[in-house]
Amino acid sequence: MMALALSSRRHVTRLQSTGALLGGVLFGLAISLALLLAQGIAITAVFAEFVGFVFLSDAGLASVAVEATPLVLAGLAGAVALKVRFWNIGIEGQLWLGAIGATGVALYDAGPEGMRLALMAAAAMAAGAAWIAIPALLRIRLGVNEIIATLLLNYVAFLLVQHLVFGAWKDPQQNFPYTAGFDAPVEQLARLGWGKTHAGLLIALAAVALVWLLTERSRLGAYMRAVGASPEVARATGVPVLLTVVAAVALSGALAGLAGFSVAAGEEHRLTQHLGLGYGFSGILIAFLGRFRALGVLVAGVLVAGLYVAGKSLQQFYQLPAALIELIQAIILFSVVGADFFARYRIHRG
Amino acid sequence: MDGMIANWLAGTPTMAAPLLLAALGLIINERAGVLNLGAEGLMMVGALAGVMATFHAGDPWAGVAAALAASALVSLVFGLLAVVLRANQVITGLTVVAFGAGLTGLFGPPYSQAAIPSFRPLDLGLLAEIPYVGRALFGQDVLFYLGLLVTAAVWWTLHRTRLGLCLRAVGESPQAADAAGVDVQAMRIGAVTVGGMLCGLAGADVSLAASQTWVEGMTGGRGWIAVALVIFARWSPWRALLGALLFGSIEALIPRIQATGTNAPTFLLKMLPYLATLAVLVVTALARRPGQTAPQALALPYLREDRRD
Repeated sequence: MMALALSSRRHVTRLQSTGALLGGVLFGLAISLALLLAQGIAITAVFAEFVGFVFLSDAGLASVAVEATPLVLAGLAGAVALKVRFWNIGIEGQLWLGAIGATGVALYDAGPEGMRLALMAAAAMAAGAAWIAIPALLRIRLGVNEIIATLLLNYVAFLLVQHLVFGAWKDPQQNFPYTAGFDAPVEQLARLGWGKTHAGLLIALAAVALVWLLTERSRLGAYMRAVGASPEVARATGVPVLLTVVAAVALSGALAGLAGFSVAAGEEHRLTQHLGLGYGFSGILIAFLGRFRALGVLVAGVLVAGLYVAGKSLQQFYQLPAALIELIQAIILFSVVGADFFARYRIHRG
Repeated sequence: MDGMIANWLAGTPTMAAPLLLAALGLIINERAGVLNLGAEGLMMVGALAGVMATFHAGDPWAGVAAALAASALVSLVFGLLAVVLRANQVITGLTVVAFGAGLTGLFGPPYSQAAIPSFRPLDLGLLAEIPYVGRALFGQDVLFYLGLLVTAAVWWTLHRTRLGLCLRAVGESPQAADAAGVDVQAMRIGAVTVGGMLCGLAGADVSLAASQTWVEGMTGGRGWIAVALVIFARWSPWRALLGALLFGSIEALIPRIQATGTNAPTFLLKMLPYLATLAVLVVTALARRPGQTAPQALALPYLREDRRD
């Protein structure tokens, strides 16, 4: 038998990296397709939903834009933290806190009406940043692993929301676990007149632009790249490592909080029991598919949003559980991280 | 009061057993240098596979076998990516959790709340009637006692056998292990598989012994608590047992508090295990002493660099 040996490529070209990414996505989609067919869905129906409805119809595209809004924000949250080697697995918790912050401002009618939405957004970002400040502090001061800390806080945030929507914040008029609706129009993001798209879409696009500017064109971005490459080398060359990490991590939490604001004020118009579920893993997936870059996150966010929309209509017409969307996302990410191998290593005869 | 404490102590091992089994599985992984964050996903898969097989075969031991087989399969996917293809272990492990959640969400609904034969507490007669600790020590289900055996077996293997020595060498210094003729990749795949099967068994323990049915999301973050438990235990099986009992006692406290009839807010009470885990991580970090750190090669893929160019 011929022996094979591996060596790592000293330099991975953009072509190799992009090729592996595309190959990985396609392989993952092929396995997902096989899974859908195994569930008894006709191949024509799959293509009608995924391609025809989602990306070629006006109503479908509008739904994709709605879904993409919080997904892109969550993806940016994952990307900016990972750029400085901080694993923010707590995107979902920060998103919940953002939704709580925005809802608090709305329920207690804080501030003048003309400022209400801005205050809600500010409270959401502050709450998201405050929630990530806990694991950030623990890691910086004590070296506590941030992966576990951010993740544990997801459960705490979820239970806090349940505590509120079943308790003090429960809509007194209704018998369901959600808060009273936000007042239109001062507490709701304006509709854009295209399907159910709302002003949150513009916020998400502005966030992409801002993150692009910060990471690609500012001093902070240069610092972030240096810390991401090697914190030791960065420190030795005079980069304020601690400040850079704190700034990137706070931005990450604020972006996740903003995603919570967008779902609450733009889609649900209240705090609901399940509004934040699933965004944590999707945020990480999107950050990875987007290679941690602002524009990549935008593209990946739109594609994952397409998956959400197609999944929801398959759910409606074929009674498939929502978990199918999560399973397909996991299969795609498995496939992408596996495919990276072929870009990073060279296989030759031993 | 007497009854409450006895009930609390008696309820602790049931809660501790899944944490213990999962933590032991993770210790095997991490001692070989593989960070497996997928415990929660493997537990979900084990829990559902256990219920499915028990439901159809009518015997919880069939469920245990199915849980082991299913979690071994998912672990092999993880091993293929994280060990053979050298993918980032953090992201791959997270994906295992999402994979487990998706898989069980897809195949679980027909078995939701299914009535199944399950593991019941043993009745050891007089021994179980010792005040306070009788039922806690002698009235548990068989999987808890199995967990104690596995603890001893994992400790023995890691610290008293050549296999364990090789495994730890692979986790501390894969280069040296490789030079000494140990097959690093095979060792790691083996550790990932066996460790993952223990996580699957932990999941089956949740569904077949603790809850005695399937409910979506029933593992409730226990896999993550087990990840933290390994750090608390400083990669030692016996300290993992101690930690599992500690965490289990906190979880067992919640229904006891609710049973006293005090008007404690349910959802805030349910935060206790997660907050306690966080607190224990902080205390562990504060009490860190030299020589008690993670395996040196943890989460680092190994590549024998035999470049010829």
